[in-house]
Parts: sequence; structure tokens; C-alpha cells
Amino acid sequence: MAKNSTKGRAPAGTKGRTAANARQAKIQAAQRSSSGGANKIVVATVVVVVAIVAVVGGVIWMETSKKDAITGGGNALPAGVSALGDGYPAYQDVTPVDGAPTLEIYEDFQCPACKSYEDQLGSTVEDLAEQGKVRLVYHVKNFLDDNLGNTWSTQAGNAAFCAADAGKFQAFHDQAYANQPTEGDGFTDDQLAGFAEAAGITGSALDTWQECYDAGKYVDYVNSVEESSAKDGVTGTPTLRLNGETLDLGQVGTPEQLTAAIEDATA
Amino acid sequence: MSVTVDEVDAEAAVPWYRRGRTLDVVGLLARLLLGVVLVWAGAAKVGHPLTSQRAVQAYQIFPFELAGWIGLALPFLEIVVGVLLLLGLFTRPAAVVGALLMLAFIAGIAQAWARGLSIDCGCFGGGGEIAPSATRYPEEIARDTGFALAGGWLAWRPRSLASLDRILFGH
Repeated sequence: MAKNSTKGRAPAGTKGRTAANARQAKIQAAQRSSSGGANKIVVATVVVVVAIVAVVGGVIWMETSKKDAITGGGNALPAGVSALGDGYPAYQDVTPVDGAPTLEIYEDFQCPACKSYEDQLGSTVEDLAEQGKVRLVYHVKNFLDDNLGNTWSTQAGNAAFCAADAGKFQAFHDQAYANQPTEGDGFTDDQLAGFAEAAGITGSALDTWQECYDAGKYVDYVNSVEESSAKDGVTGTPTLRLNGETLDLGQVGTPEQLTAAIEDATA
Repeated sequence: MSVTVDEVDAEAAVPWYRRGRTLDVVGLLARLLLGVVLVWAGAAKVGHPLTSQRAVQAYQIFPFELAGWIGLALPFLEIVVGVLLLLGLFTRPAAVVGALLMLAFIAGIAQAWARGLSIDCGCFGGGGEIAPSATRYPEEIARDTGFALAGGWLAWRPRSLASLDRILFGH
């Protein structure tokens, strides 16, 4: 590195070169007498400066690319949600029985473990919610976008809340998990529109869904849920919290176990 | 001339595993091990800012925002220290920082284990909460201990083969 700096100062004229040579000789003599090689302080300074630039520049670059990934779209709140960051209450037309516990489900539409959970326990939970025996709240996260290098968690989340506008959140949600692509492949726009249709959104309602989807009406909402749930300590999916207690899915892995846990939590 | 003969005699008197040359090779291996691991660990996180932030936040040690900034800076710190070790440039300070990083990781993993969190260490990307049965705390701690020892060796004896320290500074 010391070599580079002397090369950079090499002057063009012969006179300059002689002067530079003399200076160079002095520098080399000084270095020989001190450490027998390159000037350690100069090299250390260069290394420290490069290190600081690399770390600070890297942080700024990462923060910028993160903002690029998550902006764009509207900041609407789905019906039944009162603030950005809050979970989405499903089965809003069902009146829960007295003392029904709240089951909060943290999911990411691209998470394979969430699909496993949905395949095994999804219908059990939905039946209980339909009967009003549990208040079901979904926290739709999108952290896998960053991990997988795409934006389909956010887009599928947005699409699900566009379906909620038509009263079809749950049906869309179930379609998306039943047809989840291999991790990393992501959904396609057509696929998500297909889920909306399969969820029972047709005619002008489907046009409205498409407009909502294209506008990214709920993108900010999905981002806000990701952030607030992470602050609440949820950095993995699926996470289930029953009346605020995180469930160990190893302990409630069967429909019977989960049903029993929900019954136990009923006041 | 007699000095040279004495040196040869002295060198012949010590067992092979304590000769300077052998120890220099150990130093080179330690540099390569810790250097490759740090560069690999850092590079795996670059381009995944949110994942890296969540990995640090999952340890629940620092305040959420601070953990986020650590998550953004850590990959580049790892790469810088790793590259210095691979080059053998300022081996001792780089090894001290590398070993301290490993000790910090071990402490983080140990406290997560002790507090009953179930997280992936996020050492090479990924991270965050996982199923309790999927945690690998003992393996992660054992592995990082090995890396910390490599750093400790170099902090104690930074001399090694094929280092920029030797080329530039003659030691």
C-alpha cells in the first residue's frame, strides 16, 4: 500500500524525478532505520480508513437497499384493524363465545413451515374460529422477501388484504397456502389473481381486487406488521400465541392437542 | 559462521513441533481458518439487510433499534477482519478483534440457550426464531470456540507463513 502512494506521486519531468528520488531515498532510509520495511503507521492509517469506509458505506448501502425493497404502494388499513402494525382479526362476522381465547398466528406467505402448519392444523383452527370458540388474529409478515431476494411475501400479503376488502381473506389465505410454490420460486401475479378468483371473488369485485393489488394498497400495512411483530419478539414463522403465550408447536402438533390447548385457555 | 552453526544446533535441539517454521505453519492455518469463516459469514449476510437485522434482534440482548444497526454493520466488520487475516496484514489486532467477535457470539448464543429462546444463531445468514427442537446451541458454541481459539493463537503468536506482515514489515 505504501508502494501505491509513492507511485501515485511519480512526477513527469526529469527534474521532478530527481527530487522525488532523493525524497524517496530519504523515506526509505527512515523506514529501514525504524522497522526495516514499509512505514507501519502509513499502512495502518490506510487500513483503518478503508475499514471504516467499508463498514459505514456498507451500512448506508444496506439501509438504502432495505428502504427500496419495502416502499411503494398505499398505507390503507384492512377493515377491523385500527392502527398500522396491528394484527388482522379474521371471522369478523362471527360473535365469539364468552371467554373465547385469542389465538394470534404470525405467518409469512412464502414460509414452508407455515404451509406445514396450515396443512396440519389450519382447518382445525378455522373451524373453532367459525364456531366462535377462538378469536383468530393473523399477523402477516414479509421478512422472507429479504431472505429469498424477492417481494412475493409482501405482494401475497397485499393480495390477501385486497381479498379481505371483498370479505374473502380467509379463503384467499387458504388458497395461497394450499398452492404455495417451492421456497424461493415465489408466486406470480397471475397465480395470486387465480387465488382471488378461487376464493370466490368474481365479476366487478375481481376488478376491484385487481386495482387494489396493482396499487399495492396494503403494502405499508404488511411492512408495519413485520416491524411491530419483530419488536414483539416474533422473528420466525409460524408463531402461535394463545392469549399472549407462545405455543410450542411440538406440544400442540395435532388437531386434538391444539383444540385441547384452546379449550384450556377458555375462561 | 560460528553464529550460524550455533543457530542450527539450537534449532536441531528443539522438537519439530516447537520449531519456528512449524509454528509459522500453524499461524498460517489459523489465519486461513478464521479468515475464511469471517469472510464467508459476512458475505452470506450482505444483500440481506432485514434478515441480518432480525438475526441480531432475535437474541433480544440490545434494544431493537440498536440491534438493527448492529445487524447492518456486522457483515462488513466480519469481512474486513477476515480479509486482514487472509492477507496476514496486522495479524495481531485483526486476530484480537476476530477472537472477541467469536467470544461475543458465544456469549450471545449461551444467553439465548440459558433464557430458553429458540433461535438459529444466524451465523452464516438466516437466523431468527426456530422450533425448539431445531436449535443447535452446543454445536454452535463448540464451533465458535474453535474459531476463537484460532484467533487466540494468532493474538499470542501472530507470526505466520506467507503474510503481508512479513513482506511489508519483516516480522
